[in-house]
Amino acid sequence: MLPRRLALAALLLLLLPLALALLPWAGAQQPPPAAPPEPDDRVTIVLDPTRQRPLIRLAVPAFRAAGLSGAAAAAARELEATVRADLEVSGYFAIQGPDDFRVLRLTGDPARDAEQYRALGNEILLLGDIRAEGERIVFEGRLFDLQSGQGILAKRYRGSFAVARRIGHTFADEVIRYLTGGRGIGLSSIAFTSDRTGHKEIWVMDWDGSGPRRLTGHKSTSMSPAWEASGAGLAYTSFFKGPPAIYYVELATGRKRGVVTSGSLNITPTFSPDGGRVAFARSLGGNIEIFSAARDGSSLRRLTHSNAIDTNPAWSPKGGEIVFTSSRGGKPHLYLMGADGSDQRRLTFAGDYNDGAAWSPDGDRIAYTSRRGGRFQIAVLDLATLESRVLTSGAGENESPTFSPDGRKIAFTSRRGGRKQIYVLDTAGGGNLRQLTREGNNDMAEWSRK
Amino acid sequence: MNRKLLVWVVAPMLLAVLYGCPKKKPQTTDATLDVETESVAPTTDTATEIEEPAVATADDTEEDLLLSGDLQAVNEELARRGFSPDIFFNYDEAGLSDEAREKLARNADLLRGQPQFSLTIEGHCDERGTNEYNLALGERRAYAARDYLSSLGVADGRMRTISYGEERPACSESGESCWSQNRRAHMVVTGRSNVG
Repeated sequence: MLPRRLALAALLLLLLPLALALLPWAGAQQPPPAAPPEPDDRVTIVLDPTRQRPLIRLAVPAFRAAGLSGAAAAAARELEATVRADLEVSGYFAIQGPDDFRVLRLTGDPARDAEQYRALGNEILLLGDIRAEGERIVFEGRLFDLQSGQGILAKRYRGSFAVARRIGHTFADEVIRYLTGGRGIGLSSIAFTSDRTGHKEIWVMDWDGSGPRRLTGHKSTSMSPAWEASGAGLAYTSFFKGPPAIYYVELATGRKRGVVTSGSLNITPTFSPDGGRVAFARSLGGNIEIFSAARDGSSLRRLTHSNAIDTNPAWSPKGGEIVFTSSRGGKPHLYLMGADGSDQRRLTFAGDYNDGAAWSPDGDRIAYTSRRGGRFQIAVLDLATLESRVLTSGAGENESPTFSPDGRKIAFTSRRGGRKQIYVLDTAGGGNLRQLTREGNNDMAEWSRK
Repeated sequence: MNRKLLVWVVAPMLLAVLYGCPKKKPQTTDATLDVETESVAPTTDTATEIEEPAVATADDTEEDLLLSGDLQAVNEELARRGFSPDIFFNYDEAGLSDEAREKLARNADLLRGQPQFSLTIEGHCDERGTNEYNLALGERRAYAARDYLSSLGVADGRMRTISYGEERPACSESGESCWSQNRRAHMVVTGRSNVG
């Protein structure tokens, strides 16, 4: 018995150096990190007035990118800027950067520098290292708990210069998930319409407005993009064959096909969360009703029966309900029903023109376009209380809201700058306004579900 | 070559006119001169009547324009006869005003008299409100026009509708003077059947 244990111990001792040698190559597949650090009572807590939630104080000195030049250096700058922007915009952190650390005498060894970062009020240190391997960059991102001086998260990514931003987004999402338990939105995308080519086409961009790419080239009018939850593709409305009808574009291939194209008008598609069905508005001799159909257009099912306009459905994230716009009470208002059309009831009473409902990822809130005092604003309805809160103010025709996958942001269209552009702001309080688009008119933002 | 021929044709004519020689045979057998030379052997039965070529006046061409293959010409001609290409709506509404009904009644009269034409009715909205809701509203407006024309005897099969919502405004400025022009149902002849 004893000799066998000894042999096992000897074997482990022999394997240990090998395991250590392999560790640096483990890359992104490293085992999950240790548990998050215990909260530190001595650290000053900064309160975000809109959330009343303590911000995590994060030190992010300049990434080390020694010896890089040309395309590699440009990719490194892009990567670092992406990480910083994602963390900054997330709203979870109070971040100190290189400018705050000029006065420090840093050694580069986190264990030895911890005290200096901590003296400036930081809780967590984020270090980035970027190097080139031929035409690829390798990024190592690490987090240190400044109280214990211990490394708590280490990730390595490798990819072509072209995916530098994607590497940055991936790491930022990882940091947010590790430190807050929340999901990052760094890798999410926003579909939208743009007329920058001279025709209104469907486009998609990174959530921060970078990397816009055109998905349709119908040279007609295409609009109302709707993600399927998997992110594999989008349903949309287009006039390119005459009457407005619903089509689907697969993201990876750009291949398009008709979904529901019969009749004089089929518009405003929305996918069920399992991707199996599409709900939309369809004209029956001028009477617009909500229908659902299988994603190939078969098994058409009528969900509403009113003589008024019923349109613009949005399928709930859990799948059981559909919110839509109806003028059955005179003015357009939001209504809720079961996904089978059952139990239809009115949701909005404030405002005299409500449309464009968009669910929060948790299904507890609905953002929508609401006309208040003659002006179009973005409002958020709490489904538990049926109380609504207006997020925007002033002129500018704010419309077409959509929640970020973490529910913390809302993208929307505004004409506050003259043309229609897409902006993003914080769901809580409406702060941190950022403009995402600038070229042409841009509208109908639809944030991916992940 | 042609000029030489001309000399041979014109010169004898001039001679004939100048020296007047009715009993002489024509100097040439050119067929084009037969008319001039009938008088050589006048016979009332065989006289060719020469008349001023008909130059149609504008009024005489109306039927032709409606028969034209050019549908734009057809639409212009219908408008000249009192067809209203547009009826207008109040903000956020798809109901027909008295004025719209009068225009549609005149349109229906004209269309009943020209059963060969098929019609597209476009529904449009001004830019206020959401693009999605306006697509639905435009559809209601197009059908409001269509249903009224239908009630006045224009066959359903001759009419198709399309809603453009606020996507294709006739007037692109912001302001009521422009918005009121965009809240419309636009009727245009887009086809011709073999009927009539």
